[in-house]
Amino acid sequence: MSELRAKSAQMGAVVALVAILGCSLFVGRAKSFPPQHSVPAGEKEEIVRVAGEGGRRGGRIVIALKAEPKTLNPLTAADTPSREVISTMQGDLVHINRATQLTEPALAKSWKISPDGLQYTLTLRQGLKFSDGRPVDMEDVLFTFRVYLDEAVHATQRDLLIIDGKPITVRKVDAQTVVFQLAKPYGVGERMFDSWSILPRHLLETTYKEGKLAQSGALGTAANQWAGLGPFRLKEYVAGQRLVLERNPYYWKTDEQGNRLPYLDEIVFLFVPSADAQVLRFQSGETDMISRLGAENFSVLSRQARDYTMADAGPGLEYNFLFFNLNELGEKAPAEMVRKQGWFRSENFRQAVSLAIDREAIVRLVYQGRGAALWGPVTPGNPRWANAAIRYPGRSLDKSRQLLAGAGFRLTNDEIGGPKLVDAEGKPVEFSIITSSSNADRAKMAALIQDDLKQVGMRVQVVPLELRSLIDRVTQTKEYDTCVLGIASFDADPNSDLNVWLSSGGMHLWNPSQKHAATNWEAEIDRLMEQQLTATNTVERKKLYDRVQEILVEHHPMIFLASPDILVGAKKGIGNFHPAVLEPYVLWNVEQLYQRNGAENARR
Amino acid sequence: MMRFLLRRLGHAAFLLLGVSVLAFAFSTLAPGNYFDEMRLNPQISAERLSALRADYQVDRPMAVRYARWAVALLHGDLGFSFAYNTPVAPMLWTRARNTLLLTGTATVLVWMLALPLGVWSAEKRGRPADVALSWATAVLLIVPDLALALGLLVLAVRSGWLPTGGMVSVGFDGFSAGQKIRDLVLHLVLPVTVLVASALPVLLRHVRAAVAEALEASFLRAAEGHGISRRRLLYRYALPAAAHPLIALFGFSLGALLSGSLLAEVVMSWPGLGPFLLEGILARDLYVVIGGVLLSTLFLVAGNFAADLLLYWADPRIRAEAAER
Repeated sequence: MSELRAKSAQMGAVVALVAILGCSLFVGRAKSFPPQHSVPAGEKEEIVRVAGEGGRRGGRIVIALKAEPKTLNPLTAADTPSREVISTMQGDLVHINRATQLTEPALAKSWKISPDGLQYTLTLRQGLKFSDGRPVDMEDVLFTFRVYLDEAVHATQRDLLIIDGKPITVRKVDAQTVVFQLAKPYGVGERMFDSWSILPRHLLETTYKEGKLAQSGALGTAANQWAGLGPFRLKEYVAGQRLVLERNPYYWKTDEQGNRLPYLDEIVFLFVPSADAQVLRFQSGETDMISRLGAENFSVLSRQARDYTMADAGPGLEYNFLFFNLNELGEKAPAEMVRKQGWFRSENFRQAVSLAIDREAIVRLVYQGRGAALWGPVTPGNPRWANAAIRYPGRSLDKSRQLLAGAGFRLTNDEIGGPKLVDAEGKPVEFSIITSSSNADRAKMAALIQDDLKQVGMRVQVVPLELRSLIDRVTQTKEYDTCVLGIASFDADPNSDLNVWLSSGGMHLWNPSQKHAATNWEAEIDRLMEQQLTATNTVERKKLYDRVQEILVEHHPMIFLASPDILVGAKKGIGNFHPAVLEPYVLWNVEQLYQRNGAENARR
Repeated sequence: MMRFLLRRLGHAAFLLLGVSVLAFAFSTLAPGNYFDEMRLNPQISAERLSALRADYQVDRPMAVRYARWAVALLHGDLGFSFAYNTPVAPMLWTRARNTLLLTGTATVLVWMLALPLGVWSAEKRGRPADVALSWATAVLLIVPDLALALGLLVLAVRSGWLPTGGMVSVGFDGFSAGQKIRDLVLHLVLPVTVLVASALPVLLRHVRAAVAEALEASFLRAAEGHGISRRRLLYRYALPAAAHPLIALFGFSLGALLSGSLLAEVVMSWPGLGPFLLEGILARDLYVVIGGVLLSTLFLVAGNFAADLLLYWADPRIRAEAAER
């Protein structure tokens, strides 16, 4: 009897545990939905008609994010998941079409650039409404740029509004017209207005005045306290699990038939921390789309494709590279490092390393052929800005050896008869490559480079480091020999990488934040980049940037390696699935995505 | 009794203080900080980064930051997450609750299995059934938890019987109460199986060894001679006699409630404390890490404390020893 009682108690404990801990799952997460405002009759709405395949209303799509977004606030968002979510909830004045990579009118129906390139006059659409139904006016636009430019807010994009050290000024002309005044012409032109989310002044002004704007837009924000001009609005957030967005009934686009977009009722972002788990959930049908796939997982899914379509959108804007430590380390630098820097500063040495690396093998073995070998910083995914005259000459061990011999290096044999390169003092050429341990592709690249350089007698050790330790070494302590890293540009325009190419830039990785350019060629890059920054003629800008690419290839401060393809997938039932090579790869046209089985899907 | 309690509480406070200092020191002294990844964002200038670092006081001396945090902790404030820009405590609690649901269920299940199986195995020691059980537990010990978790996930994908991760389905909020319970239980099956399979062999072997040793005691032989039924003998007399090491183990199980499920949570996308803490560690989100470590330590301390109390209650020798002091 006592055993029975003990067992009953155990069972009771299980039930109680599930009940107590699980009860919060059933209550307390419902949010207040924004009040429904009807569009006043007769009010003029300047709607955008979007070309393309018409879809069906209803349904939802479920997509996994590798990490939980950190905020819904476009001012402070710095992580990819946050940016991806925000892009579906917010609208900008002028938008870069991720498929054509060209600008198109968005909240601003038109713009005019003054002949001197200093004034941008934008005309706002009439009848716009935030997702909570409140009308948009010019005060919202002025408020938006006031807070983005306010240093106390620490907006992550603020620096993009500083031209020649001076902030852009914004002036209202009338209820629909606003003028942006620049200190100098800005080469990117109207592209600069992309991704500046127009903020709802009625919801944020008080918070701003209290100095708490950076803290607003936390994920737990009530749905009726957050609004935007994107196709979707906040519905529900469940910590650690999912973020649910619902259709914005006031969205300002329709399809060609005049049906208001978006088609979908909901988007659900699930937080799935591992790439493999994302693949499993896509395979099992729990998610509808998958993005940022590695080549291996893409191959697996492509082989097993049943009710989904896998798409290779081609090379994106990410470029991976090897760079050398060319920092001025001062008198306290260890003798070993000084000696190594002697090699690294030799352009013949750097070029020899470049020629010895088999980029095609990297594409084949790291990306399973789904990528492009790189010789310069502009990937084939960005044809508008790539210098077509720069061609990848192919790997040549002979040329590499000749260059090394010309630079005073000698090839001898090691104790087992393998090639061993020694410098003019007879010291063996040995150095390390640091790379991020969390990026398996780059770790593989480093291993392949190690193998390639062995063939010209160089001894290389690969040292995987946790990402933040790696960044600390590269940008702070400067304790490294060489490094394999990658940069994924946000935009195709060269200005998005200005910080990388200017010698004063914090991301001028081989020798960051220089007071004066350390070399003549870096000074020339500085001059060219400054010129293209203010040139308003695209042909002229292209010519200037072409020259920058040539200099980078001539002097090899970075040895460009490869660019991965953008690999994505979606269920066959999803219409208008047209992945782009710019972020967000599969959601850039989220307002046009639809479920072919429409509302039936909503019951899933 | 009171002195015993106070001494244990003193030990616990000292341990928590030590852990908080060490966690703070290790997190702060590790190379890099939360803002370092922004250095690889070409849109963010060095000046903006410096301003952010200054705003979040990242560059202030460790001792100053620890002191400020400790004072805030006394007011119930665990600090502010750099990444989420919100207070740490509510975020930790939400995830800890999910972890407790998972590990609590697994702990109850594993003890419910280990106790009868261990007693049964001890009774049958040396016989084929006992040998078979030993082999089975050996296999479970050999299979790495990661392989088991991935294997179960693949099985779930292939069969379609169980969800492949997460805690609830997408349409959970629209379900009836019965459907919600069913959905939650289905999502619990795989991670609980992994946790039970990893803890069961060790626990079962401890129960078996302790009961087997107790069965050799002369008072049990005498009891058997008096004709007491085998079942009563095992559960009423042998099991309590073997309780001492098992109570310590039970305390450890309680202590590991928050920290023992990291792998299962990450692989199965369970929204618990493990993945959150891991993300915090990788992102150098200082106060998330310290808060998470402190919460796990608190559970460990509480588990040990509970075990101490149970031992005090169960073992007269400890009571006598405490009274002598």
